[in-house]
Amino acid sequence: MSVSLFEMIVFPGFIFLGVMGMLFEYLDRIVYARLQNRKGPPWFQPFADFIKMGSKEDIIPREADSGMFVLSPLLAVTAVVVSAFYIPMWGGKALFSFFGDAVVVIYLLTIPTVAYFFAGWYSTSLYSTVGAVRTLTQLFAYEVPLFLVILAPGILANTWSLSGMAEFYSQNPLLCVTNVVGFMVAIVALQGKLERTPFDIPEAKTEIVGGTFTEYSGRLLAFLKLTHSVKTVVVAALVSAVFLPFGVEIGGVLGFAIFIVKIAVIVCILSAFKAALARIRIEQMVDFCWRYVAPAAIFQLLISMVLGALTGCGV
Amino acid sequence: MGIVNKLVTWSRVKSPWILHFNTGACNACDIEVVASITPRYDVERFGLLLKGTPRHADVLVCSGPLTRQIESRLVRIYEQMAHPKFVVAVGTCACSGGVFNGCYNIKGGIDSAIPVSAYIPGCPVRPEAIIDGVVKLLGSLQNPTEAPATPIVINPPEESEELHG
Ligand code: SF4
Repeated sequence: MSVSLFEMIVFPGFIFLGVMGMLFEYLDRIVYARLQNRKGPPWFQPFADFIKMGSKEDIIPREADSGMFVLSPLLAVTAVVVSAFYIPMWGGKALFSFFGDAVVVIYLLTIPTVAYFFAGWYSTSLYSTVGAVRTLTQLFAYEVPLFLVILAPGILANTWSLSGMAEFYSQNPLLCVTNVVGFMVAIVALQGKLERTPFDIPEAKTEIVGGTFTEYSGRLLAFLKLTHSVKTVVVAALVSAVFLPFGVEIGGVLGFAIFIVKIAVIVCILSAFKAALARIRIEQMVDFCWRYVAPAAIFQLLISMVLGALTGCGV
Repeated sequence: MGIVNKLVTWSRVKSPWILHFNTGACNACDIEVVASITPRYDVERFGLLLKGTPRHADVLVCSGPLTRQIESRLVRIYEQMAHPKFVVAVGTCACSGGVFNGCYNIKGGIDSAIPVSAYIPGCPVRPEAIIDGVVKLLGSLQNPTEAPATPIVINPPEESEELHG
């Protein structure tokens, strides 16, 4: 199980995910713009933003812990790229898979959030500290429901490997219907994970300036934004592998096209939410997640367990 | 100019992120700045985004005359921005002090404290003028040798009606 440098850096590693991330960021922005009856940015906008940020001056505040300040964005981007290796995208299997990689992927996808927290905390600016604390508070609200619903389909499939789940559900597409509640919970939790409206509380620019990233500029900011775009793709790929595994066994160009369409659908759903809703307060968000989303996740778990017992295909 | 430099300049022109700062405006210019970033004018098609923090911004949009109280804050905000940075003075007040010129609490235009790259006169400025000004500023990035555009004066004041005596 060794990974070549090419796989790590070019395909399906860093560069591939980066380009995908930026293209889907464009899709997100253009859908958002069209929903507001605007023309929207040109297609190269995320690339121009990235190059511009990369060519600006890097400022590290004197008060900040310079080591952690520089390390956090790199930690975030690494964790996201590594987690992509375990997610089946097209052609059946992920680059790596083993029994229980779903758990590993979920933990790896938590690392960027924690890295954001470090980024904000070690900036020591007032606004970024508030943003960092909000990031963590939010993590405790959406992470549990997300964890539950990603693992629930595994009960029926009798595996906690993402590739295994995708394979099982693409062979039994009807059973996907039983995961509808889980899909809805995942979409809600995704908005918390990606810090999108209505859960963009940690970077609420009308309240706390830039939130977690207030002090970042130049290349480090470019990395943070890139992490964000890549995270969108990776998390959408995770959700589509678990809940929309149609055609995942098809390889080649057709498989890739199906994969793109699935991600695009999820990104469009998220953009529609962004356009339709306004930001809520942090305690409203925690309240909503624990009062409605977490019970829905447990409900999904119950459905899977009862079905598993009835059909005997589960544990 | 090497290919890398060209690419960097292109990206700068295509993605100006602005920070809006009120240095003592009567609020009319601020409303117009806010109006120009609404979906109606859709400045995102030029890649222009409003940012909350000086660290992320490339263009500092100042409205209003420079009051003595705001001066140190303006300089501080300006210094917090990452290089390369540009300043746009929006409104007659920001250009020269305008109607407030000569008041005990006014230092003058924005350029009495920090360097200004573009002046957009008007009282208040129309959103179209703000967008035009920012686009011209970006255009001058691409062709730095080109002579500055000559201002179009509408209804020039009579010679005898000098504004400030
Ligand atoms: S230019 Fe006119 S509208 Fe703008 S701040 Fe000055 S007085 Fe107010």
